[in-house]
Amino acid sequence: MTITVASGKGGAGKTSLAAALAASVGSSCIVADCDVDAANGAIALHARLRESGPYFAGPGYRMEPSLCIGCGRCMPACRFNAIRTDETRRTYLIAEELCERCGACTDHCPVDAIQGFTKEAGRLSVSDCPLGMTLIHAELVPGEDTSGKLVNQVRRRADTINPGNAIIIVDAPPGIGCPVIASLSGADIVLLVVDSTISGLRDSLRLSELAAGMDKRIIAIINKTGLDEEIDNKIRVAMTQSSIPVMGEIPFDPLLRSVEEKDLTWIDVAGEAGLKAKAAVRAVLEYAQMQMIY
Amino acid sequence: MKAVPQELVIAVASGKGGTGKTSLAVHLALAGAARLRTILVDLDVEAPDSLAYFPEAIRVGRNCPVSLKVPFLIPESCSGCGACAKACHFGAIVALGGAVTIDQKLCKGCGRCVFLCPENALKERGIVVGQTRLMKSGSLDILEGRMDVGDIRSTSVIEAAKTRAASLKKEVQVRDCPPGVSCPATHAVEGADYVVLVAEPTAFSLHDLSAAISLVKGQGLKAGVVINKYGFGDADIESLCREKALPVIGRIEFKRKRASSGASGKLWTDDESYMQKIDEILKRIVHAVETDEGELG
Repeated sequence: MTITVASGKGGAGKTSLAAALAASVGSSCIVADCDVDAANGAIALHARLRESGPYFAGPGYRMEPSLCIGCGRCMPACRFNAIRTDETRRTYLIAEELCERCGACTDHCPVDAIQGFTKEAGRLSVSDCPLGMTLIHAELVPGEDTSGKLVNQVRRRADTINPGNAIIIVDAPPGIGCPVIASLSGADIVLLVVDSTISGLRDSLRLSELAAGMDKRIIAIINKTGLDEEIDNKIRVAMTQSSIPVMGEIPFDPLLRSVEEKDLTWIDVAGEAGLKAKAAVRAVLEYAQMQMIY
Repeated sequence: MKAVPQELVIAVASGKGGTGKTSLAVHLALAGAARLRTILVDLDVEAPDSLAYFPEAIRVGRNCPVSLKVPFLIPESCSGCGACAKACHFGAIVALGGAVTIDQKLCKGCGRCVFLCPENALKERGIVVGQTRLMKSGSLDILEGRMDVGDIRSTSVIEAAKTRAASLKKEVQVRDCPPGVSCPATHAVEGADYVVLVAEPTAFSLHDLSAAISLVKGQGLKAGVVINKYGFGDADIESLCREKALPVIGRIEFKRKRASSGASGKLWTDDESYMQKIDEILKRIVHAVETDEGELG
């Protein structure tokens, strides 16, 4: 059983909720932190590193200035405007931040001045959490561009570790692009975390459209309610209209932040927000159990 | 003293999502528009929300589809050699037993397969992956890039929005960038004169800010940090900035009242102390671009 926690919007509470869900499932739970751009699962779960290995992305390309004869044939071959003349205008350079790594330029260079290179683009790690859960996480080197592939590796590692009947909680990145699609694929349930703001609503509708297009079962938790009643209501109506069952609402409360310093998650926080988080998480797991039976 | 660029391009970015990029970008753009010809460019094309702050904005110009050229196969000409599949780095072409299949959803439109096909069996046609639309609210222009749901080519939409924004030749351009530190963020900050990294005092943000700083350093861009929701948590953003030799160019205190009105997309332009902070941040940015302040090693 795989539950993917997603939101479209960043900062909606995905990671904290994924941690709370994992803590409720207990030691058999496997957490796959797929937000490889901003991996906070290890912080949320107070995890200790067990093992870590390098992740190599596909080739990047660089121009060897001593070989470039300045013919300029590479420039029109690049559809991403990643090739530039250097300051002396006698040779050409590849702007790494614009390069899509297709290799088209290499087909046009008469002197093989453009060379492919492979470098470590991130690390894939397995960590142990104090509550017994296993965390699979990864960190992309800033500026690298293959986060979808790295997400696939995180997912695969989680599946490998799974003895067969574990619950896997996938923490998806924000947005609706390739790393998100990689996080949603194979999910039995998509838990939509709706930030109770106008942006949160807009982004969660885009995410649910994506998940529905992938034939996913979607349920929701509305987070940070109580800031603006009108928005809260708008979101409730939107969820009903989209036939997305709401498992619970968690009010905005700075107290939830207190879990940062201790080995706790949201379900351990005293007061209304903690109780509501606990109830919402329980409702999600009950829903998941029903899905497993039927 | 360095020459002031004809168009000042400010990119508002962060590693972590939800730290307040959009609200800061919107108000920086409004502060700019009070004196100069300014455009707000929403480059968070997977989750564009800048326009949520401007329900009364009117459309100016037409909505431009963002298209790219993808290959399709002419089966009669194909010999099944598989050169196209070998050339494609995106896994968009599979050649099995002489049968070539193209997944246009995975294609980035580099054109390599078309060039390398010995039989000229691949032709190209345009497909739409998103759109840009230009709106106006008062004196502020707003250009939104929006990727279609189900697509993965966010960078194509970002580049199209950057090109359209540049063609409008404004004096100030404020970019609302996507979260993260991979390709969408890289493309969104590329070419900026100054990057504002928005952080909040939480452990998550502290961790992600560090990655975002590496990203802007890697591109050799000037940058400064705005600590948003100041007082909301006690993660030590200031120490990280000192350690990385990055100036803190603004501190915006957390106020529940502000969070409430922001939730519904209300502007904070009536909040004098807030707008004064925004003005100060804008002045710091202009000063930094004119001088060497915020230059990263």
